[in-house]
Amino acid sequence: MVSISFLNPLSPEGKDIVRELGSFDGISQDIPELRRLVTRNPSQEIVEDNEIPSNYLELALKRMEWHIKKKHDREFNSRRYSFLSDQSITRYDVIAFYLLCQAIGVKFGPNSRETRVMVEAQGDLIQERLGKLSIGESRLMVEKSLQMLLKNDRVHWTFFQELLSTRKIRLTDLVLDKGELILDREDFIDRFAPRIKQRNPSSMYQLLIGDELKELIMVKMIMQETEDYIKLVHEKARIMVEPNPLLLELADEVAEVLAEPMQHYGYGSGRGGGGPMKAGPLNPLAFPPCVKKALDGIKSGGRNDAIVLFMTPFVSYARLYPDVFRMNISKRVSDQDPQLEITENEVLPLIYEAAQRCVPPLFDDQPQEKVNINAKLGFGMHSSLKMEHEGETTWYTPMSCEKIKLHLPHLCRPDDACKKIGNPLSYYNRMIWEVRNSNQEESDSDSNGVVSSNNSPEASQDNINTNDEVNGSKIEVPEKNSDNNSGEV
Amino acid sequence: MDLKPATPNERRQYYREEWKVKDIPDFILNTLAQREFGFDHIGRGPNDRYRVFQNSDYLRKFMRYRTPFAAYSSVAFYHKPRRRDGWIKAELVFDVDAKDIPIRTCGCDNVCEICLNQAKDIVQGLLDTLQADLGLSNLHVVYSGRGYHIRVLDDEVMVMDSDVRSQIVKYIVGADVPRSEYSSHGMKYNLEHFTIPFGYPQVFTQRVKQALFAVNLDTEIDDVSRDIKKAVIKHRELLKNDQWGLFRKEIGPIRYSRLVKGISSLNLTLVDAKVSIDLKRILRLPSSLHSGVSMKSTLIKNLETFDPFRDAVPKFVYERKD
Repeated sequence: MVSISFLNPLSPEGKDIVRELGSFDGISQDIPELRRLVTRNPSQEIVEDNEIPSNYLELALKRMEWHIKKKHDREFNSRRYSFLSDQSITRYDVIAFYLLCQAIGVKFGPNSRETRVMVEAQGDLIQERLGKLSIGESRLMVEKSLQMLLKNDRVHWTFFQELLSTRKIRLTDLVLDKGELILDREDFIDRFAPRIKQRNPSSMYQLLIGDELKELIMVKMIMQETEDYIKLVHEKARIMVEPNPLLLELADEVAEVLAEPMQHYGYGSGRGGGGPMKAGPLNPLAFPPCVKKALDGIKSGGRNDAIVLFMTPFVSYARLYPDVFRMNISKRVSDQDPQLEITENEVLPLIYEAAQRCVPPLFDDQPQEKVNINAKLGFGMHSSLKMEHEGETTWYTPMSCEKIKLHLPHLCRPDDACKKIGNPLSYYNRMIWEVRNSNQEESDSDSNGVVSSNNSPEASQDNINTNDEVNGSKIEVPEKNSDNNSGEV
Repeated sequence: MDLKPATPNERRQYYREEWKVKDIPDFILNTLAQREFGFDHIGRGPNDRYRVFQNSDYLRKFMRYRTPFAAYSSVAFYHKPRRRDGWIKAELVFDVDAKDIPIRTCGCDNVCEICLNQAKDIVQGLLDTLQADLGLSNLHVVYSGRGYHIRVLDDEVMVMDSDVRSQIVKYIVGADVPRSEYSSHGMKYNLEHFTIPFGYPQVFTQRVKQALFAVNLDTEIDDVSRDIKKAVIKHRELLKNDQWGLFRKEIGPIRYSRLVKGISSLNLTLVDAKVSIDLKRILRLPSSLHSGVSMKSTLIKNLETFDPFRDAVPKFVYERKD
């Protein structure tokens, strides 16, 4: 019988295992038993001896490495990590889980990339482990864990407030009736069978709820608990004197494991191309449909939001710091544009131009919005950009597609490329690659090599002035900290 | 009835002769001191804000004396409403503005009886979902002057953040196309939203139906051609008997999925989502005058029988000479 703690280390059984261990003394000592379990696993493929985890810390790192490699390494070989799905390692695995959470909590805190990856990795691992069980066994495990997690038979959807808030689950994924979440077969039949025509209610249950929804809820709840636990550790660590140096060391090693894909396979695997996005002149051809639409001017309501909240962050980040999301490091405008020249000469003019094209022109009746634009660039509520004011407000990052749909639904007219991204800035970065590559090809074939995307009719129609400026200034912004991937924000 | 703005004299007449502080709904009067009030005195937006009234008598005097162009109160409850500080919780609001209905049947350029009725139907649908699916019960509907506000005061939702609220909006308006592929034991099955008579797919089906009956050839739906709209108009009678399978067949499965995709993104504008996710918004005070159109913002007791042109018209409108 698989232990619940193999899926949920935060369960009472898991906590017992930690309690049994007692102290941290000896967590870095070799555990021959663990080595034996790993090597004995029949589906295990191990090439080098040093790939075999021989203590808690190494096992912890393997957990992270598995997730990262699975996600980013095209040559990922799951058989090298078979031991992670072997339930006989449960007691070591639980300790490794706690060590990871504590290390990340102490060093990086709950809002870090490390936390996000750890939480994702945990969810991923639970699914991997469930997949290796027989249907009957996995069903039983899900059932048992859910009972523990939900505590009651009747669960109101508001119980999932946190999961909904962090978008781990979507409200539309849940089957609800009078506020209650329907998971149980009999409950389902009682409530819905009379409405179901021409189909068998029981098989409908199996399709709509069955194992899939239960598993989803269980996994997401454990992920949330993991996140909450890291948060708790972080809060406690702030009042504690000195964290265990072993934890700090582990945290550094976790950061290294996480940094690896950026160096080797290019983080955000979907983007293709790879390598860091360098800041450079804006290319309006690569703008997503929403930005193009906003550049045309907003004809009806929502002018302020479109210019101040949407365009200002987008244009400034696209021009100055396009890989903000990949780097995950907060910066100031002046980190990227020390003299604020680009900001004054390229970024603001483009925003102002879009404002001018609104009907009525935004600054005609609301000149104070210029101040708000400065505020969103991080320069406080002042009428001009001055270094001494920088930091009074924060430099807003570009709105996600999700937010745009809510705040500015009229702007969102997605095209095919939009399906692959969640933020207009990612669209821009992706298209820049494609435009660059196609330019490369064109100039390879065309000996004149004059086909610059900025000269295309579409671009010149929309952005005559800005394009001139863009083409005129070829200042490449050197990226500070571009090799620092630790993600401390 | 034309919706003319009210003159300052008419405003004065309204607040001194017709309006009573008791017309303000209890759910506001009982929490008066925790709310922020805002006023628009000259018709250029509510810039007199951060007002607080310790009791209804102060508010009564203020209204009678100042006869504001428009009056608002916060959906949020604060420990320190005067500073908009110490946020405790906020009503969950859905704002259905007749002017902004995504597929309007009337084509008027302001609001009219037709689009106000359409707004009422939408509100009724949203109310049903809030009750039947989300199990919420402390619901109040207010006529705002040019549309409707649904105000939810159930404790468990009043503490929720903007992200959860945005999920609620998407659920009740039908902003996502439900998936149609389901699997069990490795077998894949296809279930269109209209074959699932409960949960979110049912909500989606109802919203799509409502939209399809409003569509005309001029309606702009993303990625939906005139031909598809023609086919919708030709075959939508089938939906009166919920013959969705036939309807989909007539439209063609690929065109159908484009159609529902387009409608789902229009659905997001059934309510003004900005209002729903804002935890500190001020909202027109029920019982106050909407001076722009000379109508009373009115708490509705029975939505079905409510008629704004009978129940929300202030007396001075009938006394107008022209």
